[in-house]
Amino acid sequence: MKMKKVIATVLASAMVFSLAACGGGDSAGSQSAGSTTESNTDTQTAETGSTEQKEQTEQASGGVELEVVTTFAGNDGNAKNYKTYYQQWEAETGNKVVDMSATADDTFKIRVVTDFETGSEPDVLFFFNGADANSFIEAGKVVSIEDIRAEYPDYASNMSDGRIPVSLVDNKAYAVPVNGIWEAMFVNTEVLDAAGVAMPGADYTWAQFEADCQKIKDAGYTPIAAALGDIPHYWWEFAIFNHTTTENHLTIPESASDEIGQGWVAAMEDIKALYEAGYFPDNTLSAKDDETFAMFVEGKAAFLLDGSWKVNGIVSACQSDPDDVSTLDTEKLSKFDVTYVPAKDSRKASDLLGGLTSGYYITKKAWDDPAKRAAAVDFVSYMTSDEIVPIFAQHAASALNSAPEVDESMMNELQIKSLKMMAGCTSITGVVQDLFQGESRVPTFDGMPEIVTGKVDAVDAVQEGLDIYYSTN
Amino acid sequence: MGANIYKNKKPLLLFLLPAFIFMTVFLYYPFFKNILDSFMQIKELGVSGKEWNEPWYSNYVKLATDRNVWTALKNTLIMTIVTIVGQVGIALVLALMVDNIKRGAKVFRTVYFFPIVVSATALGLLFNLIFLYDTGMLNQFLALFGKEELTDWKNEKWALFTMMLPVMWQYVGFYFVIIVTGLNNISEELYEAAAIDGATRLKRVWYLTLPLLHNVLCTCVVLAVTGALKVFDLPWTMFPKGIPLKSTFLTGTYMYYEAMIVKDVDYGSALAVLIVVLGVILSRVVNAIFKEKDY
Repeated sequence: MKMKKVIATVLASAMVFSLAACGGGDSAGSQSAGSTTESNTDTQTAETGSTEQKEQTEQASGGVELEVVTTFAGNDGNAKNYKTYYQQWEAETGNKVVDMSATADDTFKIRVVTDFETGSEPDVLFFFNGADANSFIEAGKVVSIEDIRAEYPDYASNMSDGRIPVSLVDNKAYAVPVNGIWEAMFVNTEVLDAAGVAMPGADYTWAQFEADCQKIKDAGYTPIAAALGDIPHYWWEFAIFNHTTTENHLTIPESASDEIGQGWVAAMEDIKALYEAGYFPDNTLSAKDDETFAMFVEGKAAFLLDGSWKVNGIVSACQSDPDDVSTLDTEKLSKFDVTYVPAKDSRKASDLLGGLTSGYYITKKAWDDPAKRAAAVDFVSYMTSDEIVPIFAQHAASALNSAPEVDESMMNELQIKSLKMMAGCTSITGVVQDLFQGESRVPTFDGMPEIVTGKVDAVDAVQEGLDIYYSTN
Repeated sequence: MGANIYKNKKPLLLFLLPAFIFMTVFLYYPFFKNILDSFMQIKELGVSGKEWNEPWYSNYVKLATDRNVWTALKNTLIMTIVTIVGQVGIALVLALMVDNIKRGAKVFRTVYFFPIVVSATALGLLFNLIFLYDTGMLNQFLALFGKEELTDWKNEKWALFTMMLPVMWQYVGFYFVIIVTGLNNISEELYEAAAIDGATRLKRVWYLTLPLLHNVLCTCVVLAVTGALKVFDLPWTMFPKGIPLKSTFLTGTYMYYEAMIVKDVDYGSALAVLIVVLGVILSRVVNAIFKEKDY
């Protein structure tokens, strides 16, 4: 019996010990990480004595480990560029980047916000500069460009300050932008040719667009590739832009009955009219965005409203191996073009939507760590330098003071067409949906099928969204 | 002396403790926190609630007036019925047939059980391709028989059918295996005696098999009902955001939609509470109706 007791005790102790060891592993790890930082700091302090902090941080560069989170991952067209250039920075400085990038979807946004909330934010973050960043800016967890310049006057000095977007929280600039985005209308010219429709240009009007849609429909094709039940975002934004101006587009109306509010209602009615005319796919209310995109790529639909990132999506769809550029079917790609979104009222078709919606933040956590401050500043400066920004920006805008010439020989046909389209653009305005987020969007975004089918009145839907917006902001 | 070791129960407590701690941290704490969150204002996911709602029970008032909640409850009820009839019913028929064949029973068991081991998300993607509007397998197959018009299997008319068919199909094998095990426990002698008395095969099933399977079927029904309340991944993969026209929401998918897509986190918490309450009520009702019998 004694023996069995001993065995039982040993087993129990072993189990408890192993559990404690599991739990302790992390704490030991974190403690050790903490101790390393502390010991680095101590060493630093010993080396520099009580000299200025700047000197202290500068000496910390080399051998510093930076945690960096970006959206350059997955299918992002710049994922490879990002990897190439952060590795180049590592080689040049001797520092190390712990890359935790992920695709910019809702899960990613939640992860970033939660990381800030729980104190496990990265050192450098490439993230959106609109309402998505409000929570961590309100909590003072990132450092403004102004504060960084107080110590590093050259920080982001290659950028035009007027083009660096400011926070919605305090009107200060926090994120150093890299590549801008634009939204426009992609065209499958094969469908246009089959329907006898000319390629639209900078003077494209809504009436011409409706006439073209009818011709395309009569020829047996779907005029517009869009999944209104899934992603109505682009049509929502441009339809509203057609009833606002470049000056007041970013103003959220007080109610559905004021001037801008009436514009929003008219915009919903425009989309409804297109739906009723049968210009969207038959299954637009039940399809997912990738289904309607496939229709466009396969030559079954003529027009697609989307963003600059879709250039890479279309190019990938023209490759037999989406990951291998050498498999590009150039003849297939030549059938795609990009143009301006048809205009209504006073708006010019060449007035585009877009802007610099993301940028590099330096977190307070990294800034307050003498071992990391200089490395974080150096990393962001490197990734936003005059040499690297154009590689990321390609056909999109940047905030550089002196943007270098773009080498067209490095681009595919659709990228060159995009460049030409952008060259003729008369203005770029931000998107109001970046300000109109969360629950307030539901009645007109997720509720778009109800609006176009007449189950909900456009005025009621717009007013409901505005009521939610003003009750939560 | 040898049996004395079993008298000391203290080491048992020690072994039970880790699982208890695990359950407390990862189940009971989040559960009670979720109830608290349903009364608070939570601005976005990942941010904790700092203020109470005004009035504090406002999310529960919204629950009662939200059209989508009623759609979700109605669909969940339909899903529960489909689960009982479609999953347990079909599984019973298949099990009875397999039980009556002499060769190949093992093959059928494997074949019917196989869908269980495939992830629900993968099945959702697979059925998406089958029911795809343009170039979907089913529409292509129908075209072979001369059907010219494409059918949108995800429109308002067909959506519930398209959503529930794969869910039903996936779990038939699960109940099939349980029922086959129950059938194996019925003594052959009873069937032989019935056969001598002149009972036909159908009568043997009706008067012997089904009564003796009563407890097994009760377990299956309870599992099916509670399972129907939890079903999420496959419907969400095929019908995100309740498309079309918010007509395919289930309680689980609607809770996810509110919490993760709309980011009305506190309302999502209230919906989670509703699901728990509904689960408790339904399982009690099912237990009361399908009481197990002692033989």
